[in-house]
Amino acid sequence: MIVTRPSRPAVAGPPERRPRRWGPRSPLAPLAAVLRVAVLLSAVSATVFAACDALPGDAADTLGGGRVGSAGLDELRAQRGLTDPLWLRWLHSIADLAGRDGGHSLLTGRPVYAVIGERLPATLVSAGLALAGAALMCLIGCLLAGRRAVRRPHTGPSGVATALAAVPQPVVAAGLTALFAGGLALLPPVSLLPPGGNPLTEPRILILPVLTIALPTAAFGTALLAGAVADALSTPHAVDARLRGVPAGRILRRHVAPALAVPALRVLAVAVSATTAGTALAESTFGYAGAGELLVTAVATRDTPVVHALAVGSAIVVLGILLIADLIADPIARREAR
Amino acid sequence: MRAVGRRASRQVPCSWALLPIAAGCLLVAFVVVGPAATPYDPGAPVGVPWTPAGGEHLLGTDVLGRDVLSRLMAGGRRLLMVAALAAACTCLVGTSAGLIAAGARPGVGYAVDLVADLLIAVPALLPALLLAAVLPGTGAVVAATVVSGAPLTARIVADAATRTSACGYVRAARLRGERPAAILVREVLPSMSGLLAADFGLRFVTALQLLCALGVLGLAADVPATGDWAVMLRENLPGAALNPAALAAPAVLLTAVALAVAGAAHTVARAGTGSGPR
Repeated sequence: MIVTRPSRPAVAGPPERRPRRWGPRSPLAPLAAVLRVAVLLSAVSATVFAACDALPGDAADTLGGGRVGSAGLDELRAQRGLTDPLWLRWLHSIADLAGRDGGHSLLTGRPVYAVIGERLPATLVSAGLALAGAALMCLIGCLLAGRRAVRRPHTGPSGVATALAAVPQPVVAAGLTALFAGGLALLPPVSLLPPGGNPLTEPRILILPVLTIALPTAAFGTALLAGAVADALSTPHAVDARLRGVPAGRILRRHVAPALAVPALRVLAVAVSATTAGTALAESTFGYAGAGELLVTAVATRDTPVVHALAVGSAIVVLGILLIADLIADPIARREAR
Repeated sequence: MRAVGRRASRQVPCSWALLPIAAGCLLVAFVVVGPAATPYDPGAPVGVPWTPAGGEHLLGTDVLGRDVLSRLMAGGRRLLMVAALAAACTCLVGTSAGLIAAGARPGVGYAVDLVADLLIAVPALLPALLLAAVLPGTGAVVAATVVSGAPLTARIVADAATRTSACGYVRAARLRGERPAAILVREVLPSMSGLLAADFGLRFVTALQLLCALGVLGLAADVPATGDWAVMLRENLPGAALNPAALAAPAVLLTAVALAVAGAAHTVARAGTGSGPR
């Protein structure tokens, strides 16, 4: 996992996040949340586009490969519309994303959505499996954290998950490879996709990439959610229910799960964002041709439309989840307050 | 980090909580002494490529026949120094921004918040990838750590500073007529020393992760020939079946560093504000 977010404030909740006028109880809150997402999305798009454009060299240099003279490079640039001012290209790029083919790759001239489309299924399979596995491990971690919070109140979360979340993803990949492909010789050290590109026909190649993405994500999710679990269990009504002998399952269902829904969604959003980085690393490490590997190559070859489309696509997913979290935070807060 | 500390401050320093700090000291000793005590030249081939561990070469050799143990001993100092530098820069920038945001009108705090949210929305590795195309490896790691960490530090610091500003001793300073900047630096900042130490740990971990990521992606352009642990992961991956020790050894050390730093940060955060005002 590449990002380490501060343990509590990022997810612990709405209180200080917004000015009060737009705060949770206000009728304008949903509108403000949607507006905020729109602003953030345009900011992501503009920042990524401008940053990608500001890199030294451009796609024409990559295409020319040092064999074309400066006149030839200028012609290539004119051909690909690279001579237009930045803002105009950005607007074009936005319009392209709304269109059917998402613009054209500067490198191959193929439609962006086709380039991404042939890489995406492999990544969706590995990232989806990894997120599902991480969610399961995270659930177990949260249950353990909850048990600890009940048995030893006032000691706080153990910090084991926080420490595990700090282990860099490439290190996890290397450790798993050394163990399963080296020491035990059970799994292939590289995950080349079979012809046709469907990883499910060769499930063995999926194990190492999926574990590489899933283990850090699970540790990180548990680290963030353990505090929320402990908080939910120490609320007066949960403590009271426990003292009255309400079964643990019911306490979890009635008092802990609702309080956990919003933080869990926020963690999911961060996990998705981090998974894009995770897939890029895991795919490059194991030679698995997915969208993450495409992102790394597209940055290296200055293929701005592809980078832009991938970044905006990932941002839409992440911001969409955050928006859902914001929207349901409101009714839940109101219900809890009753 | 909000309510941590106050109630737990007296009971924390037990043996388990101090383990990461002890491990960290051992690791620092290893990387400080290591480069001077290598059994072979870490940058030159000294044997047959991919010799398995054991015998003459304790951890075997790598793709070029270089001694893995020597490279392991030589490859830690620069890596940890870069990570510490990146974390220090991030904390400096983030703390300044956070204090400014806390002292300024609410609009500034809102902007800090927005930037922090923006960073969650951008794919996590993208800033580092883009920066690596501009700066050589080390510069990219430092810059990317600042870019991805400073807004989060700023948010935490602004949050804590706002709360501290409501405390009696800060109000008293304000009534004495001290300048706002002096109040922030002399009264508010010391109360956050524990928070900042824990935050430094988090940023150090981020830097370590970015170093590993760029090392594995082959973007660490300016690493010397003696290598570092992150680059060793990339170099030794193809030989996983021939000499697993060459891959496992740097992975174990990097794991130890990450666990020690994150564990120490957790201990510090729970021990509360440390040397803060009683």
